[in-house]
Amino acid sequence: MNTLKLYLRSMGILLKCQMQYPLSFMLQTLAQLIMEGGEMLAVILLVDRFDHLNQWNAGDLYFFFGLMSVTFYLTECFGRGITGNFPYMVRTGQLDLLLTHPRGILTQVMCSAVDPRRISCIAVGTVSLVLGSRMAEVRWSPQNILLFAESVFCGFWLVLGLFLIEAVLCIHSVKSVEIANALTYGGRSACQYPVDVFPRPLRMLFTVIAPFALVMHVPASVILGKPVFGWPAWAAWISPLSGFAVFGFMVFLFSRSMRFYRSAGS
Amino acid sequence: MKAYLSVFRMRFRLETHYRGAALGGIACQVFFGLILVALYRALYAGKPQSMPLSHVTTYVWLQQAFFRMLLASDADLMDKIRSGGIAYDLCRPLHLYGFYYVRIMAQKLMGSLLRAGPMLLFAALLPEGWGIALPASVPALILSLAALTLGLCCICAMENLTMAFTMRTLDQRGIQAMMNLLMMILSGNVLPLTLYPDSWQRIITLLPYAQMLDAPIRLYTGETAVPQAPAILLLQAGWTLLLVGAGCLFWQRNQRRLIIQGG
Repeated sequence: MNTLKLYLRSMGILLKCQMQYPLSFMLQTLAQLIMEGGEMLAVILLVDRFDHLNQWNAGDLYFFFGLMSVTFYLTECFGRGITGNFPYMVRTGQLDLLLTHPRGILTQVMCSAVDPRRISCIAVGTVSLVLGSRMAEVRWSPQNILLFAESVFCGFWLVLGLFLIEAVLCIHSVKSVEIANALTYGGRSACQYPVDVFPRPLRMLFTVIAPFALVMHVPASVILGKPVFGWPAWAAWISPLSGFAVFGFMVFLFSRSMRFYRSAGS
Repeated sequence: MKAYLSVFRMRFRLETHYRGAALGGIACQVFFGLILVALYRALYAGKPQSMPLSHVTTYVWLQQAFFRMLLASDADLMDKIRSGGIAYDLCRPLHLYGFYYVRIMAQKLMGSLLRAGPMLLFAALLPEGWGIALPASVPALILSLAALTLGLCCICAMENLTMAFTMRTLDQRGIQAMMNLLMMILSGNVLPLTLYPDSWQRIITLLPYAQMLDAPIRLYTGETAVPQAPAILLLQAGWTLLLVGAGCLFWQRNQRRLIIQGG
């Protein structure tokens, strides 16, 4: 509980810092809005030209897109310490400072940054979700709401876990390793569309190794009333938990790697 | 002229040093390319379009291969503007605009040549309907190469203009981020311009962003027929001249009212 309090307190301070430059903040938030708006525009234009993607209609596709962007950018907003700053901290030796504090490294890294500019991306995602669920005539029963919340929550930890891959590689190589972005940003680009449109190797990759399909697409497809893979509805309650599995495994690898950490700072 | 050539050569060599980074970049770009091609294949399976699928896959691979050209590249200069280090460049007996223009061009050219070679080879080896198709004809290939060269000149001019804006505002993130995003959306990187609604295309293809990669790719696939090529090349050259002119003027005015930051 103490950790959570610490995290919230850090968030408060960091937010206050960011608001010291309101014009810069606003411009950057606007830039983010254009970026995510552009991504959504791409989906809208594709739907306009092709009508549907396999069994998925326009509404379904907006729903999948919204779910992905809300989840992904919530992670980038609140997990900024891991998703953005960690390689920089290793390269400059700032991480050494954290080693002297009586707290876990990951906790401190999480507390070190927040990225409120992502709020505009999350807003675009929300619009897309509302639009999608209207068009697909989703019934928001308590069950569906709960399932949706579980999916977003588990998705947060999944994305955070995938960003930890870069952190682990970075501890060993000092330089930030761009190839690790293939799974995170590549996963976001690919899995904003339902996974069953992709050929087998990509489908396996995003189900088994980076389980975006289990965490997002299985529950979302049940909410939309078109279960993917032909799985029963109860499976949708269990499969998102794989997000925790990925996060747990990566935390284990992370703490093992920290043993090999050698400072690069001066 | 000799001075600009040697600036170009130095920058060119610098870029070849980071081969490891280039390799990682290639792997990422290939992965993104595969995802996009798979998506467009699924879309085409549902509702085939008048434009053949091979044009779309070719478009995707060429965009991915020359992605580096679109990316804003000169982080050094941004730092120099903010830290005041630009004072050293002002001492050089060169035209400042030209100096930065060749630097940016060398970086973009080398960066994309290093990546485009292996990527296009990979894309050419992919099975039919996944990879890159052959150019429509030999003249089409030659014309698209000419258009690519003009496109490169156009991008460099555009980037120099962004830099000039940065000198005014000193905040590279707001304006530059916005220009980059417009570039990604309007140059066909997020979604091929050929898949935009037809009525939009008529306007979008006239903008400078479409001259950079979209125009050469259309010539390559034969979407733009050979007889129309002179008009396209003329449009590209026109935008390039306009952007270079505007950039030169802007830099000159900036230089006159320049206040060096830091000390």
